[in-house]
Amino acid sequence: MVKHSDILLDDVNRKVNEIGHADILIGIPSYNNASTIGHVVKAVQTGLLKYFPDKRSILANSDGGSIDDTINIVKESGIDLKSILIHRYEENLFKISTPYQGIPGKGSAFRTIFEIARVLNVKACAVVDSDLRSITPEWIELLVSPVLNNGFDFVAPYYHRHKYDGTITNTIIYPVTRMLYGKCIRQPIGGDFGFSGRLAEFYADKKVWETDVARFGIDIWMTTTAVANGFKICQSFLGAKIHDPKDPAASLSSMLHQVVSSLFNLMEEYSSVWHRVHDTENIPTFGFVYTVGLEPVAVNLLPMIDKFKLGVKELSILYKDFLSPELQKFLSEMIDQSEDKFVFPDEIWVRILFDFAVACHKKIMNTGHIIKSLTPLYLGKVASFVIESRDASFDEVEQRLESLCRTFQKEKQYLIDRWGK
Amino acid sequence: MLNFVEKLFKEPFQEFLDTIQKFLPNILTSILILVSGFITAWIIRIVLGKIAKLLKIDRFFNNAGIARNLEKSGIKKSPVKVLRQLLYWTIVFIFTIFALIFLKVPVMENLLERFFLYLPNVFIASLLLIIGYLVANLVGRVILITQVNAGVKSAGILSRAVRIIIIIFAFAMAVEQLGIGRETVLIAFAITFGGIVLALSIALGLGGKDIAKDFLEKKFKGSSKDNDTFKHL
Repeated sequence: MVKHSDILLDDVNRKVNEIGHADILIGIPSYNNASTIGHVVKAVQTGLLKYFPDKRSILANSDGGSIDDTINIVKESGIDLKSILIHRYEENLFKISTPYQGIPGKGSAFRTIFEIARVLNVKACAVVDSDLRSITPEWIELLVSPVLNNGFDFVAPYYHRHKYDGTITNTIIYPVTRMLYGKCIRQPIGGDFGFSGRLAEFYADKKVWETDVARFGIDIWMTTTAVANGFKICQSFLGAKIHDPKDPAASLSSMLHQVVSSLFNLMEEYSSVWHRVHDTENIPTFGFVYTVGLEPVAVNLLPMIDKFKLGVKELSILYKDFLSPELQKFLSEMIDQSEDKFVFPDEIWVRILFDFAVACHKKIMNTGHIIKSLTPLYLGKVASFVIESRDASFDEVEQRLESLCRTFQKEKQYLIDRWGK
Repeated sequence: MLNFVEKLFKEPFQEFLDTIQKFLPNILTSILILVSGFITAWIIRIVLGKIAKLLKIDRFFNNAGIARNLEKSGIKKSPVKVLRQLLYWTIVFIFTIFALIFLKVPVMENLLERFFLYLPNVFIASLLLIIGYLVANLVGRVILITQVNAGVKSAGILSRAVRIIIIIFAFAMAVEQLGIGRETVLIAFAITFGGIVLALSIALGLGGKDIAKDFLEKKFKGSSKDNDTFKHL
């Protein structure tokens, strides 16, 4: 047997040897997702059979050591072909389910998927989360076709989400990525992506698997790496995103830390790229955009505001080392605001984020401590956003986010000036 | 009579002159060593200043946060200036020791020998104090951030308490290393530390049982008062 990769386990190397090559690979990272992964696997199989019946396809599940029935469900999930109106079927869909190696996390799971894609020399790949409840077979077409038929290298997802769902994306990742790299990618950390075989190989070759990229930082890393290295990118409208919470055991602080530290590390790596970008542009969007019904999200405002106030009170000793005096003054004044007057203006939020990024860049103190001290301020911004958009419709919230993005764009020079050379 | 005068004045005076004659070169050598020590220290201080300027070491200290930590400790000078000053006085100190050795006075030699034997203790004690201070700051900060993020109202008090305990612990170890009131320090530390732990246990038992109950319930039963369904990612 030819051993293709050290990252893959022996039985996966054996299976890959048997398969030889493939056109499409769909990766599903998992960890204790027995309740949802069956639906995801069926949607992927149906999508491949329905939209790419002539292509040689692989469904690769990369598991983090699930102790529930996840792996068995992946292996046994099948579809009733007649019920989905498929009458012609060729035996060219293969399944691989393997535990991944490395740091426990979504990024390590993706590394295994990239490696399988490289070894099988696939033309197009997609990854979808295993906690999805709203995935349909059309997602596979929308993520793979732009690569296979239109020559794109990276397909970001674009979904409709509840206005309070994905607040890290809305208040930090989307506006910052857009301001830095000039591309309006609405869901940079959506988690469900399509990409070309050559981009999968590019990802696999990078030496980032001992960092936060191996955990929740993977999504922002994939998007930024594709954009900053000039790969051809687009987005596909997938409908609604309804999913279980990511790793319920992970605290908000550590999730925020993993994502934001990856964002800031990428700012270091691609500093020369984002310094040159001054405008933003829309990217090609595939799929038929329609209005979708979304699950309600319950919000408990008071604990968020309390944590914000506690953070400002207790962490001011750290903030004074890297936040400007005006920002410190504003924050200390906000401690006394009641819920109805609790407003966190965009300009202040943007400058706070920039000051945090610069503090990490200049290593004012341990970067982990800097980023973790952002949590209370982030909760303050989210609380303010919830209050402001209480009665807002989907479109009004999008306009509100557009205004936040413009503020980021307007303040970019502040970041460049403070960043230094 | 003449013999008596000779014994009373001339011989001791001659002895004194002989001693001076023997000792004078030593004194002169010592003074020379001391002066050259000051000159060497002065030259090294200037050279270090030039090199630091050339390599922008001040900027490195600023970026690493060392300048801020010094400022917090009440030292207003830049880290490079502190380093230059430290090096200057260390060189002067070393040359002074050499100068004293060259005096060749038995009492002084004995004192110096004891001093040199004691010196490692001073070094280890200083190291313990420095490490203790750094660890106390680091642990204090980690506790502060994690407790604030967990919404613990007494995060500040908790972090300061841990910081002080670590500093006291380091101080007790340093003093023990120096051998100053070894038993007294140990007993005092044990009483203080035990007292703090006991006070905290009683405080938690009486005042914090509901918090502990809530925490354990939340941890093991998964119940939470924050009943939102927020998905931040």
